[in-house]
Amino acid sequence: MTVIDEPNLESIGGTPVRVRGSEPMIDENRDTNTFRVNRSALRDPDVFSLEQERIWGHNWLYLGHESEVATPGDFKVRSLGGRPLIFCRDESSEIQVFLNSCPHRGTALCREEAGNARFFRCFYHAWTFNTAGELIALPGPEGYPEGDDFRDRLSLRSVPQFESLRGFVFINFDEHAGPLREHLGNAADYIEMVADHSSVGMEVLPGTQRYTVWGNWKLTVENAMDGYHFAPTHITFLEYLKRTGYVTSDEGGRNVRLDNGHSVLLLTGHSGRAGMQWEPRFGEEERLRIEANRAELTERLGPERTAKIADVSRILFVFPNLILFDIEALSIRRLEPTAADRTDVDAWELAPMDETPAARAMRNRVLVSFIGPGGLATPDDIEAYEAIQRGIIATANDPRPGVDWSDISRGMIHDDQMVGRSTDEGGIRHFWRHWNATLYGKDPS
Amino acid sequence: MTETTSRLISRATAEDFLFAEAALLEAGEFTAWLALFEPGGRYQIPTTDAPADAMPESTQFFIADDWDLLQARVTRLLSKNAHAENPRSKTHRMITNVRVGPADNAAGDDAQRVQAAFVIHRIRDGRIDQYLGRFDHIVAVSEAGLHYRLRKSILAAEQLRPGGRLSFIV
Repeated sequence: MTVIDEPNLESIGGTPVRVRGSEPMIDENRDTNTFRVNRSALRDPDVFSLEQERIWGHNWLYLGHESEVATPGDFKVRSLGGRPLIFCRDESSEIQVFLNSCPHRGTALCREEAGNARFFRCFYHAWTFNTAGELIALPGPEGYPEGDDFRDRLSLRSVPQFESLRGFVFINFDEHAGPLREHLGNAADYIEMVADHSSVGMEVLPGTQRYTVWGNWKLTVENAMDGYHFAPTHITFLEYLKRTGYVTSDEGGRNVRLDNGHSVLLLTGHSGRAGMQWEPRFGEEERLRIEANRAELTERLGPERTAKIADVSRILFVFPNLILFDIEALSIRRLEPTAADRTDVDAWELAPMDETPAARAMRNRVLVSFIGPGGLATPDDIEAYEAIQRGIIATANDPRPGVDWSDISRGMIHDDQMVGRSTDEGGIRHFWRHWNATLYGKDPS
Repeated sequence: MTETTSRLISRATAEDFLFAEAALLEAGEFTAWLALFEPGGRYQIPTTDAPADAMPESTQFFIADDWDLLQARVTRLLSKNAHAENPRSKTHRMITNVRVGPADNAAGDDAQRVQAAFVIHRIRDGRIDQYLGRFDHIVAVSEAGLHYRLRKSILAAEQLRPGGRLSFIV
């Protein structure tokens, strides 16, 4: 895309609009309960660059799940913030995350996407590193300074920080950033609720849904926190569910705004959760399994937490790149923006390790029928991101007040509380406010 | 094995079947397309990093339709409310390297394996996206002709890029 634009700087009232690049792009008026976002935030390559620097460069980012590198030597190569990384488990079974670049001359060290290795050898000069990153073989050592010092300085470069919460591994490119727990704040418990599904642990299934959408990454965040779109966008999926005797409702659905721009949708009108809540299409075997599973949960966690985990579907957004679906089944979605108008999405399926093959098969069927670029629902979400990305070209550079702005005012009257209806746009505003503060250093609230 | 092999359909028969299907899909004739399946037929697209022998019961696929979901998919495609396919993607389908072979015993006595390579271009929204891959189908052969028991499209790409959706039939 070649559209480079300047936002219209004239406000429609309320907070004055500020100059792009140094000031916020959102316009919020608490007196009239209106909230709007300048569309150049979704279009402008300069905004994308600034996001890479200020958001991806300093925030905790979701990398992957420990079960993806289950045994020593297992590795995956994946990019975050555009940087290729090696995510692996070393010989002592510790998680490691390295920059995928030979410390010698910069060659992409690991050129496989995934596998199991005892060491990583650069093909160029055969420098060889073990899975803990130590330089263990250096051909022609006589040309180099003697002693261990030199070798130590040329061990594999780790990402500055990485930490795990109950198997969910996050990294930070800023060595001075505070700990993961500080960033997650009260969103951590929603991750723990997913980890609590099983007493023996959770695992990512083989098979990643990797796809590119032609839309700005923030549109996918908006979509995940937007219960308002569900009925009109997913008509055909809802019709299918109805035919199978399954009924969903927005009744009682809430959005809860959490620390640091995170938020969660709590959906009580969606019954039918694999292993947790039975519905007829799951079959009799699954009904018995759910009973046993819930008894185990109650024994382990008590009735209150069991109800919290089992009876509510949740869509959690962890700023900036993780969306965790705990709905009919579990899906981990990771966002990797690659341009202002393009986002790479990876979606993994998570499941209890001790699940029976029959239960696993049912879970898979339920998840894949809905989620993903070939499902009966997600393609319509993708259509929405892409249609917005095309649509907002129409208003670019329009000098008339209010034209190049998207409205996100729905349910704003509830914004003085941290809880709103799932069909309102409170979670989306919460995200934009935090985005704005992170990017431009100011929180307008 | 020899007995089955002697009864293998010809490559031309398999090609006619695949080419006729491509024409139906290009024309958006989804009801007629569904009739190419036997009742109980399935449609699968594994994820791009799925192991070669992956089964949808234990591996996350892009598409793992059983008969019920396949019918739902067609119902959806025929609806004006399938937003991702309204307007419909235009597709242009090239099919080649067709091979016919015996199917696994488990697939049934009347089953044969039809493999082919495909290049499908999807045209929509001012873009032309290319989908490369191969078919690895199980067809049931009867007097009524060929019918899909399992229609499987295996993508060649490392990921679904640049065209990131499978809202049309691949």
